[in-house]
Amino acid sequence: MKIISKQDFDAFINALIQDESLDVEGVKAKGDKFVFGPLDTATELRLDYDVTILPPKKYFLPQYETMMHFDISTGKATAPAMDTKKVIVGVHPYDLIAIQQMDKYFFDTNVDDIYLQKRKNSLLIGVMPAKASEKAFYGDLMKNAGTPELHFDLMVTDLGVLYAVLPGTPEGAQLLSRATSRDAQPQEIEAAKNKRQEAIDRATRGLKVGPKAWHSLLSNNYMSSIWKEMADQCLACGSCTLVCPTCFCYDVNDEVGLDLNTGVRTRTWDGCLLRDFTKVAPGEIFREDIVERYRHRINRKGKYLPESMGFVACVGCGRCSSQCVPDIADPVNLINKLAEATMDTIPDTNMGHVPEKSDLGIIASDSLYIPRTATIRRMMKLTKTETFFEIGLDDGQPLGHVPGQFVEVSIYGVGEAPISVSSPPGGNTFQLIVRNVGDLTNKLHSLSEGDKIGIRGPFGTGFDTEGMRGKNILFIGGGLGIVPMRSLIKYVLNNRADYGKVMILYGCKDPSELLFKDEISQWENTPGVEMHRTVDTCAEGENWDGQVGVITTIMPMVTFDPLNTIAVVVGPPIMYRFVNRDLLNMGMPEENIIVSLERRMKCGVGKCGHCQINGIYVCKEGPVFNYKDIKDEPEAFS
Amino acid sequence: MKPKVAFFDFASCEGCQLQVVNLEEAILDVLALVDIVSFREAMKEHSDDYDIAIIEGSIARPIDIDRIKKIREQASILITIGACAHLGGVQRLGNQWDAEANKVEVYERHPGSEITKGDSNPYFAQIKHRAVSEIVKVDAAIPGCPIDSNEFGKVLVALLTGKKLPIPDYPVCVECKKNENICVFETGGFCMGPVARAGCGAPCPTHGGECEACRGYVDHPHTQAHGEVLKKYGLSPDDIMTKRTMYNYRDFEDKGGD
Amino acid sequence: MGEININVEHLTRVEGHGNIVLNAKDGTVEFVQWQVSEAPRFFESFVRGRPYNELSHITSRICGICSIGHSLASLKATEAAMGIQITEQTQILRRLAIHAENLQSHVLHVGYLVAPDLLGAPSVVPLASSHTDAVLKIVGLHRLANEFSNLVCGRTVHPVSLIVGGFSHIPSEKQLKEIRQKWVDAIPDVVAVAEIVLSLAHKLPNFTRETEFIALTADDEYAIYDGDIGSTDGGRWPVAEYLDITNEFVVPHSTAKYTKHKRESYMVGALARFNLNYDKMGPLAKEWAGKFGLQPVNHNPFMNNVAQLVEIVHSIEDTLAQIDKLLEMGVNVNERPKYEVKAGRGVGAVDVPRGILFHDYTYDDKGVCVKANCIIPTNQNHNNINLDFQAIAPTLLNLPEKEIELTLEMLVRAYDPCISCSTHYLDVQWKR
Repeated sequence: MKIISKQDFDAFINALIQDESLDVEGVKAKGDKFVFGPLDTATELRLDYDVTILPPKKYFLPQYETMMHFDISTGKATAPAMDTKKVIVGVHPYDLIAIQQMDKYFFDTNVDDIYLQKRKNSLLIGVMPAKASEKAFYGDLMKNAGTPELHFDLMVTDLGVLYAVLPGTPEGAQLLSRATSRDAQPQEIEAAKNKRQEAIDRATRGLKVGPKAWHSLLSNNYMSSIWKEMADQCLACGSCTLVCPTCFCYDVNDEVGLDLNTGVRTRTWDGCLLRDFTKVAPGEIFREDIVERYRHRINRKGKYLPESMGFVACVGCGRCSSQCVPDIADPVNLINKLAEATMDTIPDTNMGHVPEKSDLGIIASDSLYIPRTATIRRMMKLTKTETFFEIGLDDGQPLGHVPGQFVEVSIYGVGEAPISVSSPPGGNTFQLIVRNVGDLTNKLHSLSEGDKIGIRGPFGTGFDTEGMRGKNILFIGGGLGIVPMRSLIKYVLNNRADYGKVMILYGCKDPSELLFKDEISQWENTPGVEMHRTVDTCAEGENWDGQVGVITTIMPMVTFDPLNTIAVVVGPPIMYRFVNRDLLNMGMPEENIIVSLERRMKCGVGKCGHCQINGIYVCKEGPVFNYKDIKDEPEAFS
Repeated sequence: MKPKVAFFDFASCEGCQLQVVNLEEAILDVLALVDIVSFREAMKEHSDDYDIAIIEGSIARPIDIDRIKKIREQASILITIGACAHLGGVQRLGNQWDAEANKVEVYERHPGSEITKGDSNPYFAQIKHRAVSEIVKVDAAIPGCPIDSNEFGKVLVALLTGKKLPIPDYPVCVECKKNENICVFETGGFCMGPVARAGCGAPCPTHGGECEACRGYVDHPHTQAHGEVLKKYGLSPDDIMTKRTMYNYRDFEDKGGD
Repeated sequence: MGEININVEHLTRVEGHGNIVLNAKDGTVEFVQWQVSEAPRFFESFVRGRPYNELSHITSRICGICSIGHSLASLKATEAAMGIQITEQTQILRRLAIHAENLQSHVLHVGYLVAPDLLGAPSVVPLASSHTDAVLKIVGLHRLANEFSNLVCGRTVHPVSLIVGGFSHIPSEKQLKEIRQKWVDAIPDVVAVAEIVLSLAHKLPNFTRETEFIALTADDEYAIYDGDIGSTDGGRWPVAEYLDITNEFVVPHSTAKYTKHKRESYMVGALARFNLNYDKMGPLAKEWAGKFGLQPVNHNPFMNNVAQLVEIVHSIEDTLAQIDKLLEMGVNVNERPKYEVKAGRGVGAVDVPRGILFHDYTYDDKGVCVKANCIIPTNQNHNNINLDFQAIAPTLLNLPEKEIELTLEMLVRAYDPCISCSTHYLDVQWKR
């Protein structure tokens, strides 16, 4: 630990500001509040602040961020130029914890290279809070948290007339060498330690249940009436999520210039309190009621991210509660309310709110977001709204997918959409069947053979073809559900000897919507395949030789040994409840039912947050699920 | 063939057309995309052969109704710009009184005012301000008082490339928070931001003002919760009504007024 | 020589809707009239019942192009009604706001709306390819003026930061220094544009009709924000006595009200200010007035275009001086107004791009507006335009119809009418 006089510290900051190779950002006053912003001089720096309006998250996941520049005519995209190296001065420990959480989230499984680049390109100078904001409760959260290791380059503690400065990284130490400083005396080290404890003790508001027990508390109270009571006052304005240092969800948009050719793909903060957050192209909204959205936010913090990431995504900054005008966002108030209403004991888990120290040495393999170029090899209109596409990647490589996976189809200037792969694995091309429902699919339908598109993926889990080996397979497809299912049907038929009896039940609205007519008659005539078709309605005089009625009406037409049969169910949200119920009634064990679910899979890589079913990221952990694993998620089939 | 665009204005301040001019150099890019065949505020050239009609202003009199209907017949796409065309504008507040009462207040104290009475002079006949969509079908409404120049460009690009209109359905709070503003309620103000449609970039709260919901409401405003907040911060029911009617007297009329 | 029938409905390149009607037979003008057909919006009626702090936001919507001017006249009226004092910083910032609007509006008018007439083009659109360099300079100046008004007012069309008693958002010293430098750097472009206009100035008709000019006037400055009502016929009146000057009346062919003072009509705007306040202009502005041979009192309404150009130069000169004054005082970005809401009546006047503008409000003790009157510059000019028509029309009858029409249009356009605020439109109807 080093000691610097306040005057020398100002000189140090001014020297950094003068250094053209650095962009020095720090805490400044804005009216009677504080914000992080570019520093013109050290005198602007307000290390005595309580809390900033927005957290320093904005430097790593900015409000509006260019992901790439594109040129539609050439089909090329380039990453944005690297920013000047940032030094961010005055980050409080709770925000450092939040950044550590963000690191863990964006480095998990698929490393977000855009985030990583910004993160590596910044130095963090922390400071111990001199005062606590009215709503802060990081002190409550730190109880029983021990002394976790925080990631910072320098940590400043105000000792009155002097600053104690502790380097946390070699880069931090090197930066500090530019300042006039001396080694700290033992009593100064002790004083700094006391200041830290004082800072923590100041920010306590009587939280009755510590973060390690939030998971149990929330699990037990999912159906509590408190959610509705609070949500009735909620404006659904999204403020609580937008100011939160541990809300990471974002939306992606393509912006084309007036030349109709060049543009940028940007990402911008989104929030699960907003109505459109879960909206998919056909118009379905998966969390339509405010109460569902209100509950989701807190559950994501206290239950879902602990499950997937191992930490409670709240750092006690108090920003959400101070920004919520009806005053219903405060986690302390809500957790205490739930605790008061609950009769059960609330056991601790081992998941606190401080993840281990970040490893910035991590390497991002590829650009996560820039798509590979591909060419439409063949197009064929199937119905009024569906078109068949055969796609080849321009690098000549096979897609390398398994049945059930999806790709993100990208068209610069329009955007991206998740589309299931409909062909079986193998071959240098792959097939998509696309319904015209949104901007991307509309544009896709207007293209011609030979046109270029972008492809990211394959993403998500596929069907467990190994696990199904030796079993009978009952395919139950509704509407577009046949599309991902076709990949598996063809795979199974290509490997016919590995599987038992194959039964295919396929239903759609009316005969005109029937897909793969030729293939279906092939399947019908394949020995060992039992196929039944039904339509919801059939107009008088229409040519239809199948059944009429919803899909569950043809289920009794097949007989199978439920214990030795795997049911693969794919269809619109409404279908699952009835089909699964009937399967279970037929004696099929839960683990024999496989479903594939649709949600708003915007990024495809488990980052943007739109596709969550409760805590499950459908794009990453799905879209194929074993019914047994997902059935208890209240949002899965509701 | 470039689509032909014509601008028309009705009762308005013409600030939205000015916002189009305020695209500055980017206007030249717009001219590369479309042929502007009529823009009375800036051009003498005029043609009645157009594909896209861009309308500013509220529709007030029978002569205005006839004119907008003719424009609708000619145009394959009709876009409105601004709060007057979208909602009826601030002047819709005048609908609280009948036209004759308004004329008395504005003209009666001056010599010659007798010619304003009744409906005999078409300039002064049956004046009641309405949104364009209440008279003819509107294909796209760019909201705002005034419109945002950039949003105008974005809507034009979306229309020309067949994309959905890039007009958000979330409240102004979203953009206000991203601008890192101090909440208007915290500064002692009263804000329509939580129910007002975003897309403007929240210029009013960003410059110390209150959001007045000039872009109308989001599709599903939580009006009741917002009313509770206004009450909690000290507004009387009458004050709340005043806040809500400045730009959204249309909503009040649509609900039958009470 | 037969009949001349000119009927220009919805005159172009002006703001608002107006018609020009001229009927002549055998060398005699039978009928000539300037008509205003804009739909009335009844601002003076529907502001009744609205709270005082909403008034400037509502009346700003009278006119998009002079929305800053309307806001300021409105705020001054409210402050006068309630006896609210404003600080020196606010005074200076408000002057900057008017300069910003003057610059933006005059550049638009001279560059986009008048230049095409002088260059024989129907609009600025073809000029973009034939006179690219000049057009880009004009666009650049327009953009800078808008950047300036955005900085001071929060937004250029319908300002946000202007509030009762002061400002809700104040630019920082750094921002003011930056915009100051940009104006210094823009002077060569202004000069270049002025040179072009000078080379074309001979195309402005040499027409003179003696009339009265009315504008704000003050002892120590080229009045735009503060002062008394002044007249080139002599006399000086406090703003509160405006009703004795304006004398509004209604005519059947206009939804905008007309005005007159001692003579049959009077004129307001850049030429009126120039004629009354020339001696308080900046040196560079005076130099340019000299180059155009513009001297007070000038009675050629076409010279209003030149007066606007000279005012562009003056506004830049005074902007630099006002910013310097502000920087010397030190900018307090946290200054916010304090006042008490009271009942009362107040009149506010400012001299905006198109001339002197009056707002007059009466409030009850809760600060709710119970009575309002707004007198808009273009309204005050309609009558003068009409009389100019009657004077100029007989002198034009030997010309081809197209040229008569163009001259009448140029005449109206010279006034830079903003008919949407006076209510609206230009339209020439012909009968020869």
